[in-house]
Formats: sequence, structure tokens, C-alpha cells
Amino acid sequence: MMTGIKVSGRGWTEWRFLRWFPALLIWLVLGSLPAHAQSRIVTVGVYENAPKVFMDASGEPAGIFIDIIKYIAKQEGWRLQYVTGTWSQGLDRLEKGEIDLMPDVAYTAERDRIFAFHRTQVLSSWFQVYARQGSGIKSIMDLAGKRIVVLERSVQEEAFSQMTNEFGLNSKLIPLPDYKDSFKYVADGKADAAITNRFYGLMHARKFGLEDTAIIFAPSNLFFAAPAQGRQPLLNAIDTHLSRLTRDSDSIYYQSLNRWTAEKVPYILPAWVMMAGLIVGGGLLLSLAVSILLKRQVTARTRALSEQNEKMIVMNRTLSEEERKYRELLEHANSIILHWTRDGQITFMNEFGQRFFGYSEADIVGRHVVGTIVPETERDGRDLRPLMDRICADPEAFEQNVNENIRCNGERVWIAWTNKVYFDDQGGITGILSIGSDITERKRVEEELRLLNRELEQRVFRRTAALAEALEKAQAADQVKSAFLATMSHELRTPLNSIIGFTGILLQGLPGPLNEEQQKQMRMVQNSSRHLLALINDVLDISKIEAGQLSLSITTFDLRVSIQKMVESVSPQIIQKGIELKLDIADDVHSATSDQRRIEQIILNLLNNAVKFTESGHVGLLCRRDTGHYVLSVSDTGIGIRAEEIPGLFQPFHQIDTGLARKHEGTGLGLSICHKLIVMLGGTIEVKSQWGTGSTFTIRFPIQTGEMS
Amino acid sequence: MSGQLLIIEDNAANFYMMRFLLEHGGFTVMGAETGKKGIDAALRCRPRAILLDIQLPEMDGYAVAEELQRHPELARIPIIAVTSYAMVGDRERILAAGATGYIEKPINPDTFVAEIIQYLSNDRECDKEKQL
Repeated sequence: MMTGIKVSGRGWTEWRFLRWFPALLIWLVLGSLPAHAQSRIVTVGVYENAPKVFMDASGEPAGIFIDIIKYIAKQEGWRLQYVTGTWSQGLDRLEKGEIDLMPDVAYTAERDRIFAFHRTQVLSSWFQVYARQGSGIKSIMDLAGKRIVVLERSVQEEAFSQMTNEFGLNSKLIPLPDYKDSFKYVADGKADAAITNRFYGLMHARKFGLEDTAIIFAPSNLFFAAPAQGRQPLLNAIDTHLSRLTRDSDSIYYQSLNRWTAEKVPYILPAWVMMAGLIVGGGLLLSLAVSILLKRQVTARTRALSEQNEKMIVMNRTLSEEERKYRELLEHANSIILHWTRDGQITFMNEFGQRFFGYSEADIVGRHVVGTIVPETERDGRDLRPLMDRICADPEAFEQNVNENIRCNGERVWIAWTNKVYFDDQGGITGILSIGSDITERKRVEEELRLLNRELEQRVFRRTAALAEALEKAQAADQVKSAFLATMSHELRTPLNSIIGFTGILLQGLPGPLNEEQQKQMRMVQNSSRHLLALINDVLDISKIEAGQLSLSITTFDLRVSIQKMVESVSPQIIQKGIELKLDIADDVHSATSDQRRIEQIILNLLNNAVKFTESGHVGLLCRRDTGHYVLSVSDTGIGIRAEEIPGLFQPFHQIDTGLARKHEGTGLGLSICHKLIVMLGGTIEVKSQWGTGSTFTIRFPIQTGEMS
Repeated sequence: MSGQLLIIEDNAANFYMMRFLLEHGGFTVMGAETGKKGIDAALRCRPRAILLDIQLPEMDGYAVAEELQRHPELARIPIIAVTSYAMVGDRERILAAGATGYIEKPINPDTFVAEIIQYLSNDRECDKEKQL
């Protein structure tokens, strides 16, 4: 470390030193130079950039630039004053005009605006990158991501930054105010490489264990720089001397170069040639490398770009194909597709919609829905103006909505709309998509149907009223019929009562004895009147049944007793005919809940028939229980029934041998009445018969009949 | 069996026929051709029993039976309905109106008197029971 010259240093001793150091310098310089009464004082900035300019071990300014300026000053009679500091401080002082000259300043266009330069260059140099031995840094690309020390505010800083940016190296630059720390940083590992000018590198690199790399750049010409104003005579003088010195191989210029540069500088400008060659070569190599690199990069990028471009083209084609499809779908869909804003403005309507409503795109887009396709009110008076607000306020409720719309020509139509409200992230409505179908025809049909329905209802109502009236009349008629039947019953029976009564009295001989012939005839009257009574009873029964007038009287009775009673009533005829009666009533036949009188009537009818049609053999009665029913059969060994007669057997006014051989008395109503009665009691009747050998009639009825009276 | 019977019957032949049978059975018979006359006769003569037709002019048998019941002195006289009404409910209806017996027309001349005697003996048994 060269002590005593560190101006930027901190610390009390250094500041104190600074106060007396310039005075000492002045004294030293004055003492060493011949006194010139009118001599020009030239202040020169000194900083550490050996071998070009620096303070030597004794604290004297030294270096190539110092040698040259000392020579010129001596020739010109200038008195030199040195102001030490860092490179950066020196530039500042020069700019402010505090010093006259700053050695070793590379010419740039930018600096030319601030400073003044002489024309003959003192030295040419370039920058070189130095790194630790074996660092592997060989080319500029190896500097990617490395920490690199540069001189603050120097040409190299600027040039290197630009270079690393162009190569995209992303190196980290560490600017230091002085060269002297640069190599130490690298040696200590605080940085990976340092950039210095070639002169400094040649002289110091080895001492720090560093070596030069092949990275050289930014060749520059070095001059003395002066403040922009008022130093032209100084610069002119320097030019004059320099051009002479560089032409003379024995001049102080070459002596100085020899003295300060480590490499042997050949005589008569071969150094220039070499330097120039190196510079040009380095420049060429550099630009070649850069060019190759750039070219490779450009090629790669171009390829990537064209690939990307191709992809984009394909994608674009696919996208536009898709878009075309969707647009076609949208435009030609057989539905009205409408997009509108929160305030009701139409932003889109597909072609179908435009055709349907009779607007062109230019006519409809931008206009409000209400007043164009939505009328203010429907024909039935419903106000449609708040409809848009309602859709926006309650999208769910209005997702499906039917309302009246209006075409451009004023025609009213009914549309079923499906509305979808779109929201942004903040919940604001971005727009509403409405898809509509024309349901005017459907509505019309519905309305027609509704009218038809109403008419039908009215008709049904009228018809029902008519029917009710008819029913009332029918009921009245029924009552009349009922009354007629009752009257008939009475009116017919009253005379019959006398006939039967007097016949009985006469036959009993109460008024006096009858002769045989009288008795025979009175019996005939008696039989005829009984037959007439039976006829009257049967006709009344069938009339009542068919008029629905016959009501049942359901009671609980002993079926066994009823059967025996009926058998007893036919037993005189059985005895008279000389046929046998076979009774087979199961032990569990007792209680029955039914219409006793009607059950007895049926049993008697069947027994009477059996006896009537049986001339010999027997009549049998069988009764038993069967799963909630009584089954009662009356069989005989009579004439039987022909198969073809059976189907009509239970029809009214039917009697076997109708007509010619009416040998048997009967109304022809008995079986018909039996059939109707047993059905009314929830039962059945069936017949099995063989012509000539006999018949079996079987009734089956519930032990418990549903309705109880 | 003897006693006075009242027959309320508008048909002369029927009245004659029944009177003939009953007189031969030992009864004294008086008749009335309307309900009103029948009630008057009953009040006057207090018969042993009343044979009542239902289909009567002016006042029908049901009304006559009810009217007879309203007279305490007649309430205990048995009423036997003799009627050609054979519709469902006729029997129940007349029994409800106060009749104690029911004989359907046309009557059976062979059993008619016996039936009347049967009703009267039933009634007497009832009376005996009541007296006990």
C-alpha cells in the first residue's frame, strides 16, 4: 500500500496529512525547477494507474504520462503542480476546471463534450480481463454470472456492461474507484475477474497470482484531457511535442515506455505495429466471435420464431375455423340469439333473429330492447318496461320467461326466452344472453284449445243440467211407477181376495154342502185364482227388480229352518205325485245373514219346479257350507233340459216347451226372478241337466251378506 | 173363542167374506167402511179386536191405527192389519203404527179364523203377563 497519497481515505492522520501535503509538493517542485519569472503553472491530476501514471515509492509522481508531461513542461517553461486523488476525483476536478490536465484519458464522443483533447494520442491500449490462474475463464461466454471488478466511471465499465448485456451474460459488475484494489479483490476471492487496461495488467497481474485471459476489448486511444474551456494553448503545445517525440526513437517517449513497461518494446515503432495489429486483430476476432455468436443466436431465434410462427398459423387457422363454425351456428341457429347489456342495449343479434324481427344488424345493435323487439305493454296490458330490470335482479326466476314481442312491422309474437346473466369477478353484470323461440303458433293453438275447452265445459254443464233434469224426471217417473205398482198390487189383490176367500168358503161347505160337480168346478176356480195370484206376484217382483225398486231386507235367520219350511210347503204335492224326497243338509248349516224372504222364495221356486217336472223318481235337496258360502242344490229325475235351452233358461217369460205342449203351469218368470234375486244377494245360480234324466240347480250365496238392514 | 170384532174395510165383498168366515168361527162382527167411522164404532162398542185394511178412502190404515192409539180406552184393543199391500216395508210400517198382527191379502180362507184366534190368544197371554 502506497501511503500518504490516499486522499479518499478516512481517518484522522490521513486528513491531517492532507493539509500539509500539497504545500510540501509545491515546495518540492519549486525547488527542483529553474525559476522562471513569468512561468505558467500547470496543475496535473495524479492517480494510481501504473505504469502510465502513479506515485512512486518516494511519493513522487511517476509513469509514462508524467515523464512526457515533465519533458514538455521543461521545454515550454511550465511549472507543474500535481493534485493527487482517485481517477474519479481527478475527472471531477478536471470538469470543474480545478486542474489543467488529467493524464491517460481515453477519447470518447461523450467525453469530448465535457473535456478538451489534443490530437496526437499518447498511447493506445485496450482492456483485458484478468482472472485467477486455472479459473477456466477463457472466452467472454465464461463470464456469465461471474462477479467482475471494473473501474468506476471508466470507459471499460461502460463498454463491458454493454457487451455483457448484448451477450445476455448477466455478470455482476463490481465498480471500484482504483485499480490497486481490483486485483486484490480477485486474489481474495471477492470477485472472479477484474478488468484493467493492458498496461496495468502487464505490470501487476502476476504479483496477485492472476493471469491474463483471451478476453480483450474496447481498444482506446489515450490522451491528456483538459477542461473544455481555456486550455487550448496547453493542448497545442502537447501536440507539437508529441508528434516530434514519437518520431524520434531516442526521445524521452520511448525511453519512458522502455522504462515502465515490462515487455521489451522494440525500437522504431514495431510496438505500434504490433499494438495496432493486436488491436485490429483483437477487434476483428472479437467482432468475429460476436458476429458468430450473434449469428448463431439469430439463427436459433429465427428457427424458434418460425416454428412458433408456424404453430401460430396452424392455431390461428384452427381458431378461425372454430370461430367460423361457432359463428355459423350462432348466426343460422333456428333460434333468436340476443346479447344485451345491463341497461337493455342490444349488442348482438344473430341473423335468424334479425330476419325474424325484420331488422338489419345496423338497425338493431345499440338500440334498447324495449321499443324495438319488446313492446312497452303486452296486448293484455302487462307492462313490459320493468322486465329487463327484473331479469337482472332475479336471473334464476327469469331463466325461462315467456313474453310478447313485436316485429319491425308491428306484428305481435310470443317468444319463449332462456336468459343467462353473466357476472364479472366483482358480481357486476357484464351482459345477458337471451335465446328465444317463437311460440306464437303454440300460443294460438293453446288459446284455441282453451276456448274449445271452455265451450266444452259449458256444453258439459248444459248437458249435465239437462241430464239432472231428466234424472229428476226419471226419478219422478220411477216414483210414479212405484206408486203404480203398489196400486196395481192392491187393486189386483183386492178382487182376488174375494174370489179366493169365497171359493174357500164354498169348498169348506160353510154356506151349505156342494155336490160333486160343484166341488170339482170350485176347485178349478180355486186353482185358477191361485195361479193368477202367483202370476201377479211374479209380475210385480220382476217389475220391481227391473225398476230397481226391489229392496232387500237383510236379517240373520236359521237357513235350516227356512229349508225345512219350504220343503214342508211342497210335501203335499210330493206325496200326491208319489215321488221320493231326499234331504241332505249338513250339520253346520244354520245361521245365515241374507234376505230370508227372498232366499225362501228361491228355494221354494226351485223345489216347485223340480216337483212340477218330475213324474217319477225323486227330488233331492243338498245343502252345505263352502268357504264363506252356502251351496244349495235341488236335483230331480224329471224330464231334464235340452242343451240348447239352457242359455235362455234364466231369461224372463221363458218356459220349457213353450207353446204347443204347455202342459205345466207357470209364469215363465220363476227362474228369471231366482237368477236376479241371487245376484242381488251376492250369489250365483247354475244348472246341470241332461235331457230325459233330470236337472240340478245349484245356488251359492254368502253366509254373511254385505249389507245389513 | 168369542167376542165382538170390528172390521174396517171399504170393499163390501171382502167385508162380507171375512164377516162370513168369522161369524162361522163364533165371533160377532161389526163393520165400518171408512177409518173415521171405524174409530167412532170402536169408541162406541169397544170391540175385542179390530181388523184394519190399509188402503182406505180419506183416512188410510196407518192414520187410523195411530188415531186409535191416541185414545187411552182404545189403546189396548189389538189391531190386526189385513192388507193387500205387499211391498217391502209395508208390514213393518203398519206394525210401527200400532198394529199387533198382519195378515196378507188374499187371505187363506182355510186358515183365516185360526190366525185371528192365534193373535187374540197371544194378546191375552200378554194381558195376563201384564196383570201379573
